[in-house]
Amino acid sequence: MSTLLEVSGVSVSFDGFRAINNLSFQIGPAELRAIIGPNGAGKTTFMDIVTGKTRPDEGRVLWGERSQSLLRMTESQIARAGIGRKFQRPTVFEDQTVFDNLAMALKKDRAPWSVLFYRQSAADRERVEELAGEIGLTGQLRRRAGELSHGQKQWLEIGMLLAQEPRLLLVDEPAAGMTLAEREHTTDILVEAARTRAVVVVEHDMEFVRRLGCKVTVLHEGSVLAEGSLDHVTRNKDVIDVYLGR
Amino acid sequence: MTRSFFLKHPSVLIFLALLALFTLGVTLMSEAFGPGLISTSFVKTLGKTLCLCLVAIAMDLVWGYTGILSLGHFAFFGLGGYMIGMWLMYARTEAIVTGALANAALPPTPQEISDAIATQIFGVVGGSEFPAVWAFADSLAIQLALVVLVPGLLALVFGWLAFRSRVTGVYLSILTQAMTLALALYLFQNDSGLRGNNGLSGLQNIPGAGDVPQSVISIRFFWASALALALGYLLASFVVSGKFGNVIRGIRDDEARVRFLGYSVEGYKLFVFTLTAVIAAIAGALYYPQAGIINPAEIAPIASIYLAVWVAIGGRGRLYGAVVGAGFVSLLSTWFTGGQAPDLNLGVYTVKWVDWWQVLLGVSFVMVTLFAPRGIGGLVDLVTGTRSPDRHGADLGPDAGALREKEAEE
Repeated sequence: MSTLLEVSGVSVSFDGFRAINNLSFQIGPAELRAIIGPNGAGKTTFMDIVTGKTRPDEGRVLWGERSQSLLRMTESQIARAGIGRKFQRPTVFEDQTVFDNLAMALKKDRAPWSVLFYRQSAADRERVEELAGEIGLTGQLRRRAGELSHGQKQWLEIGMLLAQEPRLLLVDEPAAGMTLAEREHTTDILVEAARTRAVVVVEHDMEFVRRLGCKVTVLHEGSVLAEGSLDHVTRNKDVIDVYLGR
Repeated sequence: MTRSFFLKHPSVLIFLALLALFTLGVTLMSEAFGPGLISTSFVKTLGKTLCLCLVAIAMDLVWGYTGILSLGHFAFFGLGGYMIGMWLMYARTEAIVTGALANAALPPTPQEISDAIATQIFGVVGGSEFPAVWAFADSLAIQLALVVLVPGLLALVFGWLAFRSRVTGVYLSILTQAMTLALALYLFQNDSGLRGNNGLSGLQNIPGAGDVPQSVISIRFFWASALALALGYLLASFVVSGKFGNVIRGIRDDEARVRFLGYSVEGYKLFVFTLTAVIAAIAGALYYPQAGIINPAEIAPIASIYLAVWVAIGGRGRLYGAVVGAGFVSLLSTWFTGGQAPDLNLGVYTVKWVDWWQVLLGVSFVMVTLFAPRGIGGLVDLVTGTRSPDRHGADLGPDAGALREKEAEE
């Protein structure tokens, strides 16, 4: 299987603290992967590096078939290259309607000039409605995003990610603060999304990871501690020591 | 501009209709076209006010919609005024000089005429030659182009440097203050070539219109200002109505999120900053012929701060709010500072509004910021009954029965 994203030998330190230490990671074009690890293991920093928010001190981050380096690109260029990111806290544009939030994320030319003269086509409207169906917000399209509940905001943000049609989705703790039913719905959305693209989920909650039923990467102190199925890593002695056995 | 645009945004049509009515009313009451209920000087004040409303729209675009608190837009306003002022002063002085030299025994050479104009204009700062910046002052077309080009280019370069380095928030505001202060200080120098602290004067005398009375000229400028305001309002509402408006409001509310959606935030900021600088410059180019004089004090940092105050009082994030704020506050300011407001006798102390107006303005700015963040424009919401959610408020919270993060970890 070819790789979509290849991170190799990446290190970064903040004021002498090594947040990421010689980390290597690969993911294929249609794969679901969960990243677990204790607080401070470098999960969020890892996402920051891939999305261009943080520049690593050393190492390589290669993207796509042409093995393009992501290290020289800005956040928006990386996003346009096909990497979407969902933050831990739901961040949607609360002042705007659910429809406008989704429409803004639709994969279209993003240059100021063409956005200025952009006019919504019927196909765009259909696509937004279709997305709203996938995330269960069909009835809420005209509401302002600020009025949605916490779980609905999380879904809206996932919907905005899907609208971007990314090839790699980075999702940070999608299930935090959700009810059981909401969690199941979230799992379905993510599993469905991973059929056609790569999805990386950072999660604390083992039950949620088990339900995703995918390969798991365990991070500890900025590098990979173990990788494999959930059963495999939970039997790993190092993993038990640093994470599960506490 | 299609019909559906106005259907979707009825406030644009209402605004244009009110502006047209206002223009017609003032015209019919002016000295030139009516019984003269409104004096020529007040027509000029109203015309200038319309220009201030236009620059307030620019400020609302850049601050209210995009979230860039620029405290330097009066630099662009002033530069626009200087550019048109150079031609006005040159052409009028040329007419006077050629008139005077026509009686000479020998017909004057072009060089003699040029020298005579330069002496007339720059004698006040001890110069008798044209500085390089006056190279195109004889051409109305070029100076009109410079009205747009010089401030536009300044905004482009300044914005590119500032936004590229991700300067945001209060630091950007300070930087824009520094820009306008630096420009004012530079223009105060005599050798900057724009007559130092004397500025450019006599701009109300339009070359080639010597026999047209000021009452008519003032009305024509009033019309031009109203037209510019109408076009500026249309342009601004076109910019903010579509997806572009959603993106810039997204930048205002959560810049990083817009970036991760794949939009180049810096490009959008630069676009809005430059566009609004050009609008401000056009407003300035219409303002100063009505004011008659421009000097570097006009672009002192305080002017741009006033601009922010007008927009805040009017209600930022809505175009008519900016217009109402600028019109209301600047007219009120004229009334108070013009000595027309009656003194307030408190027995022990008499409040003279000429001195106390700025205190009143400052207090009302603080009050509006604290208690009516949506400004005067917020009154419209009270009437129409629309309320927007407080976008800086906390989440509505998880649904009932949702697992807390702590529970989720167990």
